[in-house]
Amino acid sequence: MTAGRGARWVLLALLAARALCAQDFVFNNGPEPQSLDPARTSGVPETRISDALFEGLVVNDARTGAPVPGLAERWTISPDLKTYTFTLRATTWSDGTPLTAQDVVDAWLRVLEPRTGAPYAYLLGDSIQGASAFSHGRGPAADVAIRALDPRTFRVTFVGPLPYALAMLTHNAFMVTPSFAVRRYGPGWTRPGHFVGNGPYVLKAWKPQNKVVVVKNPRYWDARDIHLASITFLAIEDQNVAYDKYLAHEIDYATEDAIPTARIDEIRLRPDYHHVPGSTVYYFLFNVTRKPFDDVRVRKALAMAIDRQELVDGVLKAGEVATAGFVPTMGGFHTTRGNAFDLDQARRLLAQAGYPGGRGFPPCTVVYNTSARHRTICEWLQQTWRRGLGIDVQLQNLEWNTFLDTKQKTHAFQLARASWLADYPDPSNYLDLFRTGAGNNDGRYSNPAFDRLMARAETLAPGPVRDRTLEQAETLLVDQDQALIPLFFYVNKFLLDDRRWGGIYANTIDIHHPRWWFAR
Amino acid sequence: MKRGPKSPMLRFLLRRGLSLAATLFLVITLAFLLIRLAPGGPFASEKQLPPEILASIQRRYHLDESVPRQYLRFLGDLAHGDLGPSYRYQDFSVDELIRDALPPSMTIGALALLLALVGGVSLGTLAALRQNSWLDYTAMALAVVGISVPLFVLGPLFKLGFALRHPWLPTSGWIDDRRGWLTLILPVATLTLPYLAGIARLTRASVLEVLRSDYVRAARAKGLSEPVVVLRHVLRGALLPVLSYLGPACAGILTGTVVVETIFAVPGLGRLSVQAAINRDYTLIMGDMIVFAVLLVLMNFLVDLGYGFLDPRIGHGADAP
Amino acid sequence: MTPMEALPVPAAPDPLPPPVSPAAVAWRRLRGHRMALASLVLLALYALLCLGAPLLPLHPYAEQVLAHENLPPSFQPAGITLLATREAELRQLLAAEQRPASPRERTQLAGLARAVASDPVHRRIYLLGTDALGRDLLSRLLYGGRISILIGLLGTVTAMLLGVALGSIAGYAGGLLDTVIMRGVDILFGLPYLLVVIILMALFGRSVFNLFFAVALLSWLTLCRVVRGQVIGLRHAEFVTAARAMGASPARIVFRHLTPNTLGVIVVFATLMVPEFIMAESFLSFLGLGVSAPLASWGSLVADGAAVMELYPWQLLGPAVAMTGFLFAMNFLGDGLRDALDPQSRRGGVHGR
Repeated sequence: MTAGRGARWVLLALLAARALCAQDFVFNNGPEPQSLDPARTSGVPETRISDALFEGLVVNDARTGAPVPGLAERWTISPDLKTYTFTLRATTWSDGTPLTAQDVVDAWLRVLEPRTGAPYAYLLGDSIQGASAFSHGRGPAADVAIRALDPRTFRVTFVGPLPYALAMLTHNAFMVTPSFAVRRYGPGWTRPGHFVGNGPYVLKAWKPQNKVVVVKNPRYWDARDIHLASITFLAIEDQNVAYDKYLAHEIDYATEDAIPTARIDEIRLRPDYHHVPGSTVYYFLFNVTRKPFDDVRVRKALAMAIDRQELVDGVLKAGEVATAGFVPTMGGFHTTRGNAFDLDQARRLLAQAGYPGGRGFPPCTVVYNTSARHRTICEWLQQTWRRGLGIDVQLQNLEWNTFLDTKQKTHAFQLARASWLADYPDPSNYLDLFRTGAGNNDGRYSNPAFDRLMARAETLAPGPVRDRTLEQAETLLVDQDQALIPLFFYVNKFLLDDRRWGGIYANTIDIHHPRWWFAR
Repeated sequence: MKRGPKSPMLRFLLRRGLSLAATLFLVITLAFLLIRLAPGGPFASEKQLPPEILASIQRRYHLDESVPRQYLRFLGDLAHGDLGPSYRYQDFSVDELIRDALPPSMTIGALALLLALVGGVSLGTLAALRQNSWLDYTAMALAVVGISVPLFVLGPLFKLGFALRHPWLPTSGWIDDRRGWLTLILPVATLTLPYLAGIARLTRASVLEVLRSDYVRAARAKGLSEPVVVLRHVLRGALLPVLSYLGPACAGILTGTVVVETIFAVPGLGRLSVQAAINRDYTLIMGDMIVFAVLLVLMNFLVDLGYGFLDPRIGHGADAP
Repeated sequence: MTPMEALPVPAAPDPLPPPVSPAAVAWRRLRGHRMALASLVLLALYALLCLGAPLLPLHPYAEQVLAHENLPPSFQPAGITLLATREAELRQLLAAEQRPASPRERTQLAGLARAVASDPVHRRIYLLGTDALGRDLLSRLLYGGRISILIGLLGTVTAMLLGVALGSIAGYAGGLLDTVIMRGVDILFGLPYLLVVIILMALFGRSVFNLFFAVALLSWLTLCRVVRGQVIGLRHAEFVTAARAMGASPARIVFRHLTPNTLGVIVVFATLMVPEFIMAESFLSFLGLGVSAPLASWGSLVADGAAVMELYPWQLLGPAVAMTGFLFAMNFLGDGLRDALDPQSRRGGVHGR
């Protein structure tokens, strides 16, 4: 063999070896992402891509979802639990620029800046000292309690002893983005030619409505531990279409966006089906300012006439967990018992409210956003109430934007379907929804006693006292006032062939950081 | 009607051009107002944006200005060929999005139209010439099935048969995927079928009518051979209704691409415009609409020209269609 | 020339045949067209079943029996099918998970057997099977048919009235009137249809009437264009010149002379339209803008069935066959009507083109 021929064989062998250990991973990410800038996005599809392209101080562990070191190597917490000092790793951006603590400061300030219009600015604004004024344009940036003490040390002071601070820091609003690139390129900084990142992968291609392709970032601080050559995020909105791709082996992993609920019976039986109960709650919200739901007895009657177990076992069948309480159990906090299924009591309450046997019950409409699954659940509810209480509710499905407008702006509803996925794992993130005047308080619930309990919890350190206070608040909201009808907790499910891929584990927060994925 | 020197043609083109521009202008204005009537907006989301953030974003996109001002700004940008940034896909401008989405839709739509036209006219003519034969009945039965089954049943059925049960073709995607041009086959076949069926039926009906007319009998009496009779005389007259149908067929194909693109995950304009409507992405809606309107208007113009070509009695003079 | 006309005139002239109206001629011709007749019968059957649905002994279309979800069609009582299906499912689950049945699963099955024996609801027969909430597909099919047929017919009638009238006027009058009408058509064509429907639904609420209105909105446009094209083609025909020479008013010319001559194409278009309407309604259902739950239409049933095509094929097959059959029949009827109404075939081309 001549030298040339020999070289060619070696090259082929190397390529083959590379093809064997590194792999290309393809999956459906759901709807086309609104933006690849983690500061300006709030949806799950965007977050999945941000997790691949950027990193924050801490990231989610693959199995438990708990915060583990990311860009920060280690940290210390002050005795009053308010100040965190992080030591950053010595690493660079994907273009070679050294990454310093000042980059963290700049990134967080950019999120807080009113001009950016970051949907999660309030996460920083409500938790960091001095940040709220700045984000409302009423204070200088210098007052925000974040500092770069030296190129590798970053310090932040929170408004209180927040028990969920570290978990919150894994949120994409806290990711460290290249402010210098944003300044240099403006809104086009996220496009393949200009892109600069610090995550396990970098952006290679972005074809709208089609796919986002990222490849391994050789300058990532832990590049040695990244085992996929590329990840392709497809942008298919239709679950059936995506599931068909999975069946045809055109995609490697099926998330919620590729598991159609109508076919759950066949999907459950597959060996590659993984599921674990999650913490997203599905409920129906009362507009408590509208008849007949201004009467708590009517609200309770409707809630107690529902056999949630039948819904979960007979209609949903994917392992959802029925609940009459709103906030899932977490840490030392326990879900309230709520008002369980009791048809006799429900009938009695309805009669007391003036509608014995459902007679004279005013017309009532349940609104929900268009989807086969919501429709099925609503139809089942309609029948349940007709059979159990003798009342007839109308169902109205609204197209998404119209639904949001009705629920959030005009509040022109009596009962609306809703769900809540926590921004960080703490009961206050759920209960804050119902504070008087809160932005997302679509049902117009207002109870001063509830507000007082929530305000008190804000000042308490993590521990049993805080847990009990929050539990009291939930009992008030659900058991006593029945401001909503919780139905069930979602199941986090996905399809993955464990023999070919690893690093994706079923966890309750349903966050699967691409940093841990690998091919077997 | 005689066709005189170039100037009537030029006058006709000029008048047509102006009237098209006027129509386009009216459509744009009407649409601009209408989309702001729809409830919700581009920045609605399940977890509501805090009011100051919403205000800041709206300022950035000039949504805080009065509607007439926004309209004038829009017209001004349009005059510079700038369709604006997408409200929803914040990292892209509207013309980038449309530029990427147009080729897939055009490819599928044009192929479907071509196949439907060629196939439909051939099938319909054959069926008419062999009226009441088994060929006629089978062809027409197939045609009826073609227009009776909705696209969102046809598509999944094709997918089931040709991509899932037997992995001959990819289930969805576009030609930049691994399996390249094969990805085109199913979406085009799905979209072609209903229009092929419609055109076949229409052609058959029309050819049958024409076959009975005087000038065809005259042609036959002259001793011309059958193929010549068919091609030169019959088709000329018979194709008029088919030509009329092409306008709505195009519109139908444009809406059909929405379903086909959704089922086969094609990154095209149909899917983009549905998402734009659902997301209330005002600028993208306007951009899509302008593109569609231009396409339709062009198509109708071609159809009108075709009228003139096929039926020489219709001139381009004062009472031109 | 008929043989009779060719003969020399006899001394005593035979009485003229009694005048026959075109409608009677048409009806006689239609009767001869076998497929059209069969279609008419089929359509009558559809009308009877769907319109008479409240009188038929059907299970209520909105009543859910969760225990009976996703049962296949059968002549046997539901209980028997139910037991067989659940046993088969359990066996499949156990095979997939490679384990024997747990005591809980065994008691469940036994309890089911007992319930089947005692509860009268399990004696129901579901001729077309059930859907995911245990509702009878046959009754949903028939009640859904009412809505679909209603939308199809109403829409077509509206389209025909508006489209033919405006198209004929535009085609015959020409000039400014033509331009204005066609400009209006172009504008309506250019608007983003989906958005217009969304706005209509949002402004006027969701009801079957609004749905029909949304569908009818775009329908008349294409017919208008086609009729106009036809009228333009016929404008210069001899019979029109003759009628004008005889002093007929434009309205008379348009509606008495031109329209019947375009009827052939109009009818074919109309029969292409009823399917289009039902299709448009199903497209809107596919996008979630169709009828509100728990109502169903053929379109919504087909859309739901298509999603579970592989698992529960009857959920697609039933509504799809019903819808296709109806459209089939409409189309063949259209063929027959065209042949029957075509004034040209009446006397072999007197009103030639």
